[in-house]
Amino acid sequence: MSRSPYSSAGRLCFRCLRASKQSRSTRSFASTASANQPPAASPRPSSNDAAPADTTHFGFQTIAESMKESRVGAVFSSVAGNYDAMNDFMSLGIHRLWKDHFVRSLDPGHPSSISPSTPSSGWKILDVAGGTGDIAFRMLDHATTIHNDTSTSVLVADINPDMLNEGKKRALQTAYARSGRLEFMEANAESIPSIPSNSIDLYTVAFGIRNFTHKDAALREAFRILKPGGIFACLEFTPRLSNPLLNAVYKRWSFGAIPIIGQLVAGDRDSYQYLVESIERFPSQDEWRGMIEDAGFVTPQTAWEDLNGGIAAIHKGMKPLR
Amino acid sequence: MSIPTTTLTRSLRRLPRSLPPPARSLTPLLHPRHYHDPTAPSPAPYPPTETAILTASLLRVPTSGFTPTTLTLGARDAGFLDVSTNLLPNGVFDLVLFHLATRRLALRSEVQFVEGEGELGVGERVRGLLWARLRGNEAVVGRLHEALAIMAQPTHIPASLTALFTLSSDILHLAGDTSLDTAWYTKRASTGALYAAAELYQTQDQSTDFRDTARFLDDRLEELRVGGEALGDVGEWVGYAGRNLVNVMRSRGVRV
Repeated sequence: MSRSPYSSAGRLCFRCLRASKQSRSTRSFASTASANQPPAASPRPSSNDAAPADTTHFGFQTIAESMKESRVGAVFSSVAGNYDAMNDFMSLGIHRLWKDHFVRSLDPGHPSSISPSTPSSGWKILDVAGGTGDIAFRMLDHATTIHNDTSTSVLVADINPDMLNEGKKRALQTAYARSGRLEFMEANAESIPSIPSNSIDLYTVAFGIRNFTHKDAALREAFRILKPGGIFACLEFTPRLSNPLLNAVYKRWSFGAIPIIGQLVAGDRDSYQYLVESIERFPSQDEWRGMIEDAGFVTPQTAWEDLNGGIAAIHKGMKPLR
Repeated sequence: MSIPTTTLTRSLRRLPRSLPPPARSLTPLLHPRHYHDPTAPSPAPYPPTETAILTASLLRVPTSGFTPTTLTLGARDAGFLDVSTNLLPNGVFDLVLFHLATRRLALRSEVQFVEGEGELGVGERVRGLLWARLRGNEAVVGRLHEALAIMAQPTHIPASLTALFTLSSDILHLAGDTSLDTAWYTKRASTGALYAAAELYQTQDQSTDFRDTARFLDDRLEELRVGGEALGDVGEWVGYAGRNLVNVMRSRGVRV
């Protein structure tokens, strides 16, 4: 498909403007977290250059904050159809292994072997930016086949209706389409007022959070909706590998080859240029861990897990009980 | 079994709110010191949240073993959700390491030696400490083989060996062995090997009060002593013969 990335921008714009206005308003959260939190509206200076308050990064470009969502929306609308094909080309299929590992390490689902006398309602999982259902299907598969748990449910939230449609289409090919365990919802992760506070067991976001305009706002929203003891888990690319030599090769590959593959396979170079630039803009593992802690989460001692020498990393954080 | 949670939390309460990122090690210290202070309380091996989950889980080990199920039950007992076990990056292996670390740290408070009159030698103290550590397994002894199996998994072997080394080092330190010579390594290696063998024996011990394990431990210590003496004798003989050989050669005009 060779749609221009900007053709759908106008269509998405209205929703985006509304959403970004919401996200800038200050909200109050659980008492323990608010004490050491930065003010809601000030973005953490994670990148080296300080952008003015109302502009943000779109890859290497600086654009108005209100524009970012529509631009990102355009990118993902453009790639939705051949999202998997492109991921396979770019990561040589490894993204599937990462997602498998991500889900397996989270181990979703109530083990049926434990206390069959007390009926449990299963986990409530929210998969943010999971439009195509990649993570959601794996979660449900894991809960069903490993733990024999048919009550765990996944709510897939994505800002982009094209990605959601792709996921709904794929869901029809699984057993979960009409099981009531899978739901799709169009939402901006920076503010999801339709989800009540303290209601979610597990919040996941895989290869999505780097596209958010206000990552700190999204983290605080995750903190709000998670139950005490609930886990925030994030699978995301990292800006650089620990080994400088491998990093040089990897950067050569991502900046040299990936936009060209995008041009050849999807007929859309700009979207893939944005994808690699957005990876470069994402905070390093240590900075990102700091942001997760700033939102109030408790992080594990080994704060993150690097995958394939640090091309991607899994971060986790738990909402404390008090 | 008694895990000194009260002392752990007490020492934690004194810590500053923002801690430096802990290093990735077996028993990560909350505040790494750059000197050794034997009078300072030992830092807690895990942060408070993990400690709460793991302490509750350990109480479940006798019934459900070193398994993910135990962790889930422990998390529930401590008031957390099933999903909260994700805070432990190594899963059940963290439970094993927690058991090792708490039992090792408990040696400091549980074993007291008499000073002055009737003082025990270093060898006797090492025996006492090894025995106290083996008794520390009492609560989980029926499931100890599971812990050993998890520790023997290839990815866990480095951390397991580190735990064994830390234990033997602690035992020798508490026994008052302050020597700093080449035997530093061999002492730790032999103490560690001895403990590992005794613990393996303990998993199969059917006798009351681990009497067989105690006998096994004494036999191995005796072998170590006899073996060490024999090795010392051999070394002495080799040195004597070597010197003689050199002197014989010199007397024959060889320039050595």
